Amino acid sequence: MPGYKLYYFNVRGRGELSRLILHYAGVPFDDFRFEGKDWPAFKSKMPFGQVPVLEVDGEKMLAQSHTIARYLARQHGLAGQNDWEQSQADMYVDCIYDLHGAMRTPTWETDPVKQKELFDKVNQDTIQPHLEKVEQHLVKNGGGHLVGQGLTWADIAYYAYFTTPIMTRLGGEVFSKAPQLKKLIETVGNNPNIKKYVETRPVTSG
Amino acid sequence: MVHYKLIYFNLRGRGELARLVLHHQEVAFEDFRFEREEWPKYKAGTPFGQAPVLEVDGKPLAQSNTIARYLARQHGLAGQNEWEQSQADMYVDCIYDLITGTRPIIYETDKEKQKEILQKFLKETVNPHLEKLEQQLIKNGTGFLVGKSITWADLAYYSFFSPMTERFGDSVIDNSPHLKKLVEHVANIPQIKKYVETRPKTTL
Repeated sequence: MPGYKLYYFNVRGRGELSRLILHYAGVPFDDFRFEGKDWPAFKSKMPFGQVPVLEVDGEKMLAQSHTIARYLARQHGLAGQNDWEQSQADMYVDCIYDLHGAMRTPTWETDPVKQKELFDKVNQDTIQPHLEKVEQHLVKNGGGHLVGQGLTWADIAYYAYFTTPIMTRLGGEVFSKAPQLKKLIETVGNNPNIKKYVETRPVTSG
Repeated sequence: MVHYKLIYFNLRGRGELARLVLHHQEVAFEDFRFEREEWPKYKAGTPFGQAPVLEVDGKPLAQSNTIARYLARQHGLAGQNEWEQSQADMYVDCIYDLITGTRPIIYETDKEKQKEILQKFLKETVNPHLEKLEQQLIKNGTGFLVGKSITWADLAYYSFFSPMTERFGDSVIDNSPHLKKLVEHVANIPQIKKYVETRPKTTL
């Protein structure tokens, strides 16, 4: 079994997808988290001065949140059953990457009134049109999973995005037009490995 | 023979990497381009209301990097093993972030303000990245980003930095001799050169 060390801040953010993949797959790893003030000490050690970074067997480093998550998904059977399914999963996770980008400004806004305004705008302009399409594809795929007939990291990525603190606080109506996706996300959340991790992980603001 | 149709604006933008992968591997494809005004006609038919889209024997695949990765993997340009594939993915993700960073610059109409935003972007984002990139290139020691031979990651860096230097000057990569050499190498590959000479001339 390779030795994994995942370096990231003590937040969910862009590290959480990899954590969820590893917990879902029951793969042990060193979930190395540091506080903001400790970041400068680690920054220079990282391949591109950014985190998350996955260190494998204490020697090789991999950067970029979705590259790390894809690598782990592929190593542990969560990437799809064939080349086409793998690409479908990649596609959905790329969509989530863009949605993360869109949610950055509301997430960092400290004024609660302004934050709700910003959130509602992102929801209306970006998330709702996207969910409309995803719901169509999900139903067409049989309603159970985004890709193929089994769980992939794409399902976990949607779960991770739609259960962030900001989404949990402000996103009550976000699935009003996407009931199947809502069900899928609940199913991921009810997985025993995910549930156990979520109950015991550090409580963080993002 | 699989039929590929790449659907994108008549721009380089986020469609060009897929085109370069296909041209480098000399794989025939339908390079379907539409003008901006025609986009509403095609938007509803795409998986997520966005382009590029790759149709593989009619089946759609969306998201620029997913498309380019799929083509790279199908046609031997993705890396020699899983670790190399991930290294290539990592580099292409870096380029994706840099492309996103250029958007405020490209869409700024005030020339003075554009210059300011560009300088900030170069200083705070591009240069720190290039410093690390040079170290990685030196460490890899082959002239390529990943392993011993060209991958789609090298094409991605060419695809981003070639227009950057054209538009904003050679100084963008002056302090990155290894990257400069790599970009020049890719530019001089016969199939890339031929495609670049004959492709539609577009602002982006």
